[in-house]
Amino acid sequence: MSANREQVFPTRMTLGLMKSKLKGANQGHSLLKRKSEALTKRFREITKRIDESKRRMGTVMQTASFSLAEVTYATGENIAYQIQESVANARFKVGTRTENVSGVYLPLFESSIDSVINDFKLTGLGRGGQQVQRAKNIYTKVVESLVHLASLQTAFVILDEVIKVTNRRVNAIEHVIIPRTENTIAYINSELDELDREEFYRLKKVQEKKQKKSAALDAELKAKALNAANKLEVENTDSGIDASGTGGPINEELPSTTSHTQAGQDLVTEREDDVIF
Amino acid sequence: MEGIFFNIDNGFIEGVVRGFRNGLLTTNQYLNLTQCDNLDDLKLQLSSTDYGNFLSNVSSEALTTSIIQERASNKLYQEFQYIRDQSSGNTKTFLDYVTYGYMIDNVALMITGTIHERDKAEILSRCHPLGWFDTLPTLTVATDLESLYQTVLVDTPLAPYFRDCFNTSDELDDVNIEIIRNKLYRAYLQDFYDFVTTEIPEPARMIVQEMLDFEADRRAINIALNSLQSSDVITSELKRELLPSIGKLYPTMTEQMATQATDFDSLKSILNNVHEYRGIFETKNIEDQFYKIEMEMCRDAFTQQFTVSAIWAWLKSREQEVRNITWIAECIAQNQRERINNYISVY
Repeated sequence: MSANREQVFPTRMTLGLMKSKLKGANQGHSLLKRKSEALTKRFREITKRIDESKRRMGTVMQTASFSLAEVTYATGENIAYQIQESVANARFKVGTRTENVSGVYLPLFESSIDSVINDFKLTGLGRGGQQVQRAKNIYTKVVESLVHLASLQTAFVILDEVIKVTNRRVNAIEHVIIPRTENTIAYINSELDELDREEFYRLKKVQEKKQKKSAALDAELKAKALNAANKLEVENTDSGIDASGTGGPINEELPSTTSHTQAGQDLVTEREDDVIF
Repeated sequence: MEGIFFNIDNGFIEGVVRGFRNGLLTTNQYLNLTQCDNLDDLKLQLSSTDYGNFLSNVSSEALTTSIIQERASNKLYQEFQYIRDQSSGNTKTFLDYVTYGYMIDNVALMITGTIHERDKAEILSRCHPLGWFDTLPTLTVATDLESLYQTVLVDTPLAPYFRDCFNTSDELDDVNIEIIRNKLYRAYLQDFYDFVTTEIPEPARMIVQEMLDFEADRRAINIALNSLQSSDVITSELKRELLPSIGKLYPTMTEQMATQATDFDSLKSILNNVHEYRGIFETKNIEDQFYKIEMEMCRDAFTQQFTVSAIWAWLKSREQEVRNITWIAECIAQNQRERINNYISVY
């Protein structure tokens, strides 16, 4: 128990600090939890879309490579080289922008086709030009879906990483920081209670001492008064004045008892103050 | 009477070609090929045909469509080269003319590679073996058309074809190359036609002329069709220079195609006026349609005896056969069974 707490002095200030820390930790925990849930939702969505586009990819690729076979059939084998050589400008371009999903920046690839650029429109002029154009269109679609897939896949990897980190944080707060802070608070409370009990005991002890002291004082006074009375009695018996002699010691005794009770009351109030505090 | 002296020079060649023709894959063999489950099966099926063991040293892991295509083409080139070496006189010139078409392609390829500063070896390996000529590697020195002509091409048989090309710009770029290629081809078809008309005796003359007519028409239709989207580059004047000056479409339809065919429908209505090509756009794939007509022509070419045209018909049939095998192999490799029957078989 004592191991899993922070090394702090158990004072009231630290207690206040710890309490605010606990509050902050709870708040952070719920926030992060919500973030992680939002990310996971997005993640599932992306996974679904990746699955879809991968499945679609298969058929699209098949048609594409088949259209290439058609081109070869119609034009002969050198067409690929002619096309490669006659391309000067990029018709298909990929740009990126970022999208913000609960504080995570995901790169988004976007493809654009510059329809003005059409470099090999004359290739296969004498033979197979349509097949070449058809293959071009099909392959444009293939590259489009490839770009789309790449976009999703990148988002997938990044989100995966971020979700892991967030979950780790959530778990750290939930299972380490919050229990430890709670333990520290409990520890500080117990220490403070201990101090209180010590204080109470100490006060009791002081009170006891005081009582003893005053009792001793009383006894002394009493003894003195007794002695005086005895002396008086002796004198009275000697002189014969009885009435005034008996009244004397009684008067003497009264103030001392009142002072004694007064002191006792003070102590009680003092002690009670302490306890409240 | 023309058959009497034919065999003196060409009897052996024709015999060989007819032997080759009997080795062409038949419809039944194609049916067997389409039943194959994988390329290994295909290889096995092909080994029982004239192709024999042309794939014997290829392991089943390395067996791809492109290797099948390459090997099959090589076999064809060897056989053609053999026939060419056996020929003499007019037959040899005729076979040379057949190869000029490939030479044009090679020249265009070399120029394309040169303006993009590609490695010479890389381009040379891609050149068509039938269109090979000795000065081909030196084409890389040229940067503009004038010097290309003066230094290299003037010594090749292609030189006369370049005559019409010099009025365009002298700088070579990709658009120009494609235009030059088609202009060359136009001149080549014309020249070939003239040669056949004057030098080749009947009945081969008629057959070859028909095949050339068809080739010209095919190019014309394709150019008209493919230039629909690029009317900014190819104006009707330029188109007129590109469209071949022979064929069934020439001159009336050619002129109409150059000036009036601005969209698909007008092209279609122009072609509907020609009996041979009526309804050619109704089917989905015009290229397949052309191949089919060509193959039927080639098949019919073998019905005549004592002709050199049989050689060309056989060459075209074999090229189509290689395409068919590649197509079937591609369909098997890519598991696209529903279109495997798109091959063209006439024998």
